[in-house]
Amino acid sequence: MIELQNVTKLYGKVIGVNDLTLSLEPGAYGLLGPNGSGKSTLLNLIIGQLRPTLGTVNVMGRSPRNNSQLFRKLGFCPGGEGMYSDVSGFDWVRYLQRLQGMTAHEADIAARSSLELVGMSAAMHRPISSYSRGMRQRTKLAQAIAHDPDFLILDEPFNGLDPIGRHELSNVLRDWIGQGKSLLFASHLLHEIESITQSFLLICGGRLLASGTAEDVQTMMLGLPNEIAIRCSNPHLLASYVVREQAAESLKVDGDTLSIATKQPGILYQNLPRWLSDSGVQAWEMRSADESLQALFNSLMKLHRGEL
Amino acid sequence: MIGSIIAVFLFEWKRALTFTRMLWWVLLAAFPVFIIGLIRFIASFDPRHAMESGEAISEEWRELCAWLIFALVPMLVSMLGTLLWTTPAISAELERRSWIYLAVRPHGGTAVLIGKYLAAVTWVIPPALLGLSIAVPLAQTGDSMRIWWSMTRLVCLSAPSFAAIYLLLGVILPKRAMVLAVAYTLLFELVISFVPAVINKLTVQYRLRSLVVEWCELSFRRPTQTRIMSLIGNESIQTHINALFIMIAAMLLVSIFILRTREFSTSAESDI
Repeated sequence: MIELQNVTKLYGKVIGVNDLTLSLEPGAYGLLGPNGSGKSTLLNLIIGQLRPTLGTVNVMGRSPRNNSQLFRKLGFCPGGEGMYSDVSGFDWVRYLQRLQGMTAHEADIAARSSLELVGMSAAMHRPISSYSRGMRQRTKLAQAIAHDPDFLILDEPFNGLDPIGRHELSNVLRDWIGQGKSLLFASHLLHEIESITQSFLLICGGRLLASGTAEDVQTMMLGLPNEIAIRCSNPHLLASYVVREQAAESLKVDGDTLSIATKQPGILYQNLPRWLSDSGVQAWEMRSADESLQALFNSLMKLHRGEL
Repeated sequence: MIGSIIAVFLFEWKRALTFTRMLWWVLLAAFPVFIIGLIRFIASFDPRHAMESGEAISEEWRELCAWLIFALVPMLVSMLGTLLWTTPAISAELERRSWIYLAVRPHGGTAVLIGKYLAAVTWVIPPALLGLSIAVPLAQTGDSMRIWWSMTRLVCLSAPSFAAIYLLLGVILPKRAMVLAVAYTLLFELVISFVPAVINKLTVQYRLRSLVVEWCELSFRRPTQTRIMSLIGNESIQTHINALFIMIAAMLLVSIFILRTREFSTSAESDI
């Protein structure tokens, strides 16, 4: 469905996407990367709004640039807002469906049903300027799905949504995927993507660092440097087991929490249940000490460069 | 494609029905009426009284009014109206970041460009004609119908011509569209168009000026005034009209070409 061959995109001297090669079959994919990682550039290349400086982009077998046939099958929800504030959500979605090639009557029906689907029935005739951020997000999604595209591309669609809104939107997108349609969903938050799909593309610094299912990525992460915090009944005793097996680079005990920095998280995770069992230490909580996604991507970037 | 253009046209017209834009509409219509009325008042000249007393309305008064109405309506009102409407046609979408919604539709960019162009032209012509319909009788040139009909035809040529120019300038340099449009107007339409050289034939005003001289039978037509001929040319009426249509078509095609080849990204100016 999407083929990128050695694609590089430069903005002057700034690299947006760096020698990216990618082949995606129809399906649902999450594009995960920190802010400024090149997600939006990649999406703009896929929808033909940008031309690659080097390399080729093909979507459904053709270049997406000025490709009207592709645009009939494509739904795009951009990251920014950019809707006309002086018109109603209904008029806005209806207008875009008219541009999609629908008649006035068809556009009316499509706009109404898509706005109902995203929970905007009550407010659809109010001006967009009166919408909350969450309502604008829903309206943006409605304009992307109203023409029933085969392939939906969403750039940070959960921005500004409250937990209920996220849950409802997740359901809409899961139903969408359930109909056998394709989805590419960009976000900088792992849990947002996990709630929709288990197939990931990890991008950072304009490079594709990893791809696959969540399990594939977790397996890959096992071999990367990691810092783990374990809250337990006797952190000092547990630390002695870790030191004995030489499974840590450094250890730190702070109250009931043992923080372990390791280059061999695989060995740590493999042995931890046995150490807990042998020592009789009760573990209440285990988490990554550094929850920043950037740290994960920094590790992946080093792996990508062959530094690890 | 046609359906999309119609959709943009109707949508833009619906959005234009706001108090602010209607106020502009009224101001554009009232401006030539106000100026003609002011001149009548200042000159303290009453052509009707002159006619009743048996005096002929002077040719000078008729020509003065014709030139004044030409400068005010087919030139100023058309220029100002189209400048305000068509110049920001694309830049406004880019600034608002709504362009991406339109660009990912089949022929979306082209439909927006042409739809907005048509909306601007049809928005500018009515106030120009309304102003004309009041200002011409007010001037009392003695041949109001002839002046009115000539100016009406000129408005119908000037509005689409200036709109096409400003649309192109807005597409060429969207970030500085208004500055470029004002600079073009001052330099080309108000200065170079009066340069008695071949270059003035590239301006819209040259064509319109030549047409007003012919259609209103103004004194510039007299062959004795050869020095003036380089300002109005000696081409036929049809040549001037054809030249304007070719200019309009060429500028619209170039605008579409630029729009289709240029990159307008959601990420270029903000997040990568």
